[in-house]
Amino acid sequence: MNKKYLRIGVVIIIAICATVFTHFDSFLYKDPIIKVESVKTLERNKSTDEYKNTDTQVKQRLTGKFLNTDKRGQPISVDNTYYQSQLVDQKFRVGQQVMLTKTGRHYSVNDVKRDTVLVFTIGIVLVLLFCMQFSRGKLLTSVLLNLAVYYGFMRILINTHNSILLLMTVITALLISGIALIVILGPTTDALMAYSSTVISTTIAILLSVLLLSISNNSGVHMELTDFGLQPYFSVFISQVIFSVLGVILDETMDISSSLIEMKKEISNVSEKTLFQSGINIGRELVGPLINILLFIVIAEHLNVVLLYLSNGNSINYTFEMTLSLGFAQLLISGIGIVLTVPITSFIASKIITRRAV
Amino acid sequence: MLYLLGAFVILLLLVAGSRGLSLLFGLGINIISIVALLILIADGFNVLITTMIVSVIILIVAIFMNVENPSTANIAFKTSLLIMVVIILITIPIEYWASAQGMGVEDQEELEGFSLAAGVSFPQLAVAVIVVNSLGVISETSVAITSGLNEIVENKPTLTPTEIFNDGFSVGNRILITQTNTLLFNFFATTFPLFFLIHSLNDNLGEIVNDKLVVAEVVTMLICAIGVILTVPITSYLVYRNVKLKKI
Repeated sequence: MNKKYLRIGVVIIIAICATVFTHFDSFLYKDPIIKVESVKTLERNKSTDEYKNTDTQVKQRLTGKFLNTDKRGQPISVDNTYYQSQLVDQKFRVGQQVMLTKTGRHYSVNDVKRDTVLVFTIGIVLVLLFCMQFSRGKLLTSVLLNLAVYYGFMRILINTHNSILLLMTVITALLISGIALIVILGPTTDALMAYSSTVISTTIAILLSVLLLSISNNSGVHMELTDFGLQPYFSVFISQVIFSVLGVILDETMDISSSLIEMKKEISNVSEKTLFQSGINIGRELVGPLINILLFIVIAEHLNVVLLYLSNGNSINYTFEMTLSLGFAQLLISGIGIVLTVPITSFIASKIITRRAV
Repeated sequence: MLYLLGAFVILLLLVAGSRGLSLLFGLGINIISIVALLILIADGFNVLITTMIVSVIILIVAIFMNVENPSTANIAFKTSLLIMVVIILITIPIEYWASAQGMGVEDQEELEGFSLAAGVSFPQLAVAVIVVNSLGVISETSVAITSGLNEIVENKPTLTPTEIFNDGFSVGNRILITQTNTLLFNFFATTFPLFFLIHSLNDNLGEIVNDKLVVAEVVTMLICAIGVILTVPITSYLVYRNVKLKKI
């Protein structure tokens, strides 16, 4: 018990140290960073735009001291303008550390320094994990391995200028789902069974959806509206769909196949048909919650842009077409995948399990 | 799009039978609730209060329509409400500190031609984004843990609180890993175009870890993970209290 508290204590201390360190790490940055010591509001302009949105534009003068570069310790003043709604601009507060950009001899505000809050939040998650009796080893291994694979994926994308995106996505998806399954289930035939179900279900769902989309000539789906307009649109879209649905399908195949394995253990002479039918019954209950997970994740991503469209006087129809249609297409493909996983996993699992000696 | 919708509905009905209809109904209500949320916020209603009200409605639909056992549904609902409150309480200070609201320089192209004086409080909306993001994960986690735990509790009539907590963690372990995977893979899905773009704008680690959109995505994922982690002890406690009440 003492050992447990000691471990929690160590994690808390590490989290605090890391947070404090990032608060004072401005010497690592090349860009000048200042600490804001006082803020003065210079002007306030209340305006109503053509869509009857009332907003206030504020001009503030930040006075502070340099924290790094050779001007360290010297005072500086910079001006900043922002709208009170703060969509793309930023209101700065006393005490914040602000990154500046230097153009010629003139400084202008660039962005808030956010690394401290990032490290702090990671710290909270770790401390919570260590306070409770989770098997952290497995969790952290799978997260770190997956992040490493993702890093490699990103590097290759950048080096190849995004030209082999789809191929890389498929390889990455095969790797990360394999890692996840081996970490959770161990290198067993059960893991292999869940893996093949995951791969087959995802592939069929994607191929079917691509076929359906091409029959309809992508009508109603604005591929050109993928995030940040990254080209090639279609590959980006499909890659996003694959990554986003993969975790959910993994969850589903594991749930179904492990329940069926349990069932076989209890009733050793269970028939293939009974197993298949119970697989369907279990899967039926999973479909709704799993689609919900993706529904809210996808919609949350678009809240900002939807409100920007709506507040700019666009009709609800036009707004949803421009902002959410791609998200809905993504959800529908994911939904097809989630639904198809149920019979595919039940079929594969019932075949393999009945043929296996207990 | 229509073909996709058609294929989805047909497959759902084929696989889930009559259950498919109620699933579609539940999804429909959730989508309508979210659309209502968006319209209310655009009309100037307070972002946080509207989000909370709509979230409660969504949780009710997501839990009571999907779960047949009333005791499981009750506990799962209470847990998710508590977690939602905790998430809001954690998110408000973290978002205030991070100032990671709204959109970034990476969105410049999309923003062209828009009036940016939207009159909506984007710092508050950033909190709403995280709350909405967590709704599905939270409701699914609490239902999965409650039903797993209830099953164990029903088979063993005498249980001490420590035993219930231990069982809660053994049920919660796998759910935690799978939910983390779901969150992580979705993080990959949204961030690979972002990282690619940041790279072409300015490749420098300092810029990346302070970038508004990157920080917003990471914080969203982490706060959802906090929600999932906290679900386990809260569910275990509520199941324990339920067992104790039944005995008396």
